[in-house]
Amino acid sequence: MADHASVEARLNGRRSADATRATPPPTEPAARARTAIDRAKLRFVEEIPFGEALRITRWQLGNGLGILILRDPSAPVVSYQTWLRVGSSHERPGKTGQAHLLEHLMFNGTKNHAQGEFDRLLEAAGGETNAATWVDWTYYYENVPASELPLVIRLESDRMANLVLEKSRVKSEKEVVSSERRDRVEDDVEGKVGEVLFATAFGRDHPYGWPTIGWMEDIESFSSADCRDFYRTNYAPNGATLVIVGDVDVEPTLAMIQEHYGALAPSKLDRHPEPAPPRQRTERRRKVSWPTPTPKISVGWHAPGYLSYDHAVLTIIDQLLVGGRSSRLWRELVRERELASEVRMSLAPFRHASLVDLWIAAREGKSIEKCFAIAEKHLQRLQRELVDEEELAKVKNRLELGFVGAMETVNGKADQIGFCETVAHDPQHTFVRLEEYRRVRPEDVRRVAREIFDDRRRTIIDVVPSRRAAARSSANAKPKRPRGGA
Amino acid sequence: VTHAPSPPIALPPKTASSLAPDPPWGPRWSTDSGITVLLEESHAIPLVDVEVVIHSGALHDPLGKEGLARLAARMLRMGTKRLSAEVVDEAIDAMGASLSAEVGHAVTRLHGAVIRRSLPQFLELVGQLVAAPALRTSDLGLVQRETIADLASQRDNDRWLASRAFRKHLFRDHAYGRPTFGSEESIGRVKRVDVARFLERSVVASNVTIGIAGDVTEHDLRPLIERAFSKIPRGTAAPAPLAPPEVAKGRRVLCVDKPERTQTQVYLGTLGARIADPLFYPMLVANTAFGGTFTSRLVREVRSERGWSYAAHARLGADREREAWAVYTHPSMEVALDCIALELRLIQAFVDEGVSEAELAAARDYLVKSHAFDRDTAGKRLEPRLDAEIHRMPASFYTHFAQHVSTVTREAASGAVRARLSHEDLSIVLVASASQIADGLTKLPGVRQVEVVPFDRV
Repeated sequence: MADHASVEARLNGRRSADATRATPPPTEPAARARTAIDRAKLRFVEEIPFGEALRITRWQLGNGLGILILRDPSAPVVSYQTWLRVGSSHERPGKTGQAHLLEHLMFNGTKNHAQGEFDRLLEAAGGETNAATWVDWTYYYENVPASELPLVIRLESDRMANLVLEKSRVKSEKEVVSSERRDRVEDDVEGKVGEVLFATAFGRDHPYGWPTIGWMEDIESFSSADCRDFYRTNYAPNGATLVIVGDVDVEPTLAMIQEHYGALAPSKLDRHPEPAPPRQRTERRRKVSWPTPTPKISVGWHAPGYLSYDHAVLTIIDQLLVGGRSSRLWRELVRERELASEVRMSLAPFRHASLVDLWIAAREGKSIEKCFAIAEKHLQRLQRELVDEEELAKVKNRLELGFVGAMETVNGKADQIGFCETVAHDPQHTFVRLEEYRRVRPEDVRRVAREIFDDRRRTIIDVVPSRRAAARSSANAKPKRPRGGA
Repeated sequence: VTHAPSPPIALPPKTASSLAPDPPWGPRWSTDSGITVLLEESHAIPLVDVEVVIHSGALHDPLGKEGLARLAARMLRMGTKRLSAEVVDEAIDAMGASLSAEVGHAVTRLHGAVIRRSLPQFLELVGQLVAAPALRTSDLGLVQRETIADLASQRDNDRWLASRAFRKHLFRDHAYGRPTFGSEESIGRVKRVDVARFLERSVVASNVTIGIAGDVTEHDLRPLIERAFSKIPRGTAAPAPLAPPEVAKGRRVLCVDKPERTQTQVYLGTLGARIADPLFYPMLVANTAFGGTFTSRLVREVRSERGWSYAAHARLGADREREAWAVYTHPSMEVALDCIALELRLIQAFVDEGVSEAELAAARDYLVKSHAFDRDTAGKRLEPRLDAEIHRMPASFYTHFAQHVSTVTREAASGAVRARLSHEDLSIVLVASASQIADGLTKLPGVRQVEVVPFDRV
């Protein structure tokens, strides 16, 4: 603690002296110089264990910028991430896709760097940069050789305040996002079905019901003024947390952050009230016609948000049913009865509410209704019988493998820290989640299965092969199925 | 508010030099029976990657039985004489492990990952699966039907369709054009005896390399490997014969017709390089400048300036013989013809004029400095070592990556592109709704031939 306090004192002392030396012009009141000092003032907040060997230190600037640093010298590289507490659930109907469009636009020019320079400088430094947006957050990352950290701090702090949103760039980037949407949704059966599922389960105007990429008509209608408003409101130090993991020296890194972000003014952030809980009391069902040779089904049940212990229990249920080749549903549908080619579950890691989604693709000539009937049988079994300890231990081991694998690289660790900080307000929550998995008892599984897999709160999307594709498939069908042979 | 500048606080240098060769490789030894073992140690996390490489792959598939090697690899997961597939699956999941198979033209690979505490049992199991697979006829039928179902599922993926069609169109009857996945017909023709013969010839000690990366020491690993893989017989395997591929003359178009498409999936390409080609590194740098980064020429023209395709890149494959060099984009149906025409102009300029000094310098810098991320985990450090074994390449080809790249001149890069690539002999393959685009394809400059096939025949 004393060490952190002395870092804080040294860095704040330097900033204070710098500001004092910079004599304000006669028209500038001394209060503004005082504000500058206050915004750049660094505060050590806490040290947080990250597993047994590593420690995160949390810092904050006076302007509200959060900083999480995890020193990991295992390779001479750094992952630098900027997590913003704004995502697609904070948009409004008619303006869906705004957070994602702005994420794209952030790679354009600023007042200090011409169009394309951001990427050029980072590539020349051997860096990899990209970003992602989802319902609760937007984040940007740079993975760079450790020696290039100053460049990243300079570029990221610049685009947090100085982005230029020219009309022509907004127009061009809207085209790129439309292309992304065509690729991920319009021409992709799973993307399309996922969109229909969430819109049907939550409602098209619910913050979790519209797609993060936005409806096509909304993407096409954005103006540069829309983008500027969203940027000015949400892109500010008090809406962001920096996550820095790798071979870094803490004090010089903090000094550079203080220097480059310390002058940024906080914004009056929009309040993000918790979305209304989904109100579904009867089953909902939709059909999607698609040029595919085989029928598919997607079924979603309302589930609690990521912070709930039951979210962890549902992850265990997901693994029991479809995690690996020994899982119950995969084994029966794919291996034993040869009815399906794919069976998967996914559980959205959203903060306030979630959807657990089952996806089954039938094999050619097989009944998707029969596939789903078998899935229902397995859900009922979970509601009725206690899972045995051995099977439970098996899926916990599988989850532990995934947990350890996610921690291998500096960017893997930074992803975990940033996500957990933004969604759970606890940067080491991934370890809490691992402990939750370990705590899950057979009774928890049965209780949660009973609570969640309620027919009245499910939404079903049937994928029906369009006539042309089905006819072709039938014409192509082989009269004899291979069975192997001596 | 402006601050007076603070005294600079410099970060200490983290690497001696970005041009330094990679750190020395980890231990390499042979088991008593002659299996090569490679180890890259790291104790950062309690995880171990296990790679079993059999140096025989789809090149060994007999004509008409494409997919044999892939079926054989999948049969390795189906148990031993004593263990059923179900018992194996249960055991792998219970250990906190994963095991998958991958087949390329030259290799069959099993990829495993396991929590450290289960490593001895996992190696024991993998050793049994590789050395003594059950090869039950009933299991083969099951795997064949699963593979055919997977093939049908893949046809929902337009990019996969385009990629599969592109390879066939570019390489035609050459072994590289034959699908490692197989087709419904060829998969159905494979018999148990084919699988048994392939494995019998391939799974011999001198044809197997085992790569281990992660939380284990050489001292602990040696006896585990020796015991687990002792049943693999001694012996050598003959490499599959492979002729150099030849490119067809002219610009040829294949349109994979899929209804109701809003966009296209487009591959344009020709033959690229061999891994042992002395022009490989100049080609690599030139390709990076052309379409390998976000600021490269292709991405700037197609995405940044015109917004035509979210993804755009050029890829240089390299294998024992010349692999594909291909450009990928997915423009909308409305702009697809304009986009392909632009790409043809870009390829022509790339071949005729090469790259500029500025483009070359940017590509070199990127490749050299980002190399740190090619080696930041034990698993990544193992990869070039396995590649060196697979391709029989000298270690310095990989360890001196930065030096190879940094010495490429503009003349060398542009000359390599001119020597190896062609803008006249190109395969242009796209997935699209053909009725909307087929006429326009015939009008593309230099196009001699347009062929249309339905998507479920690819």
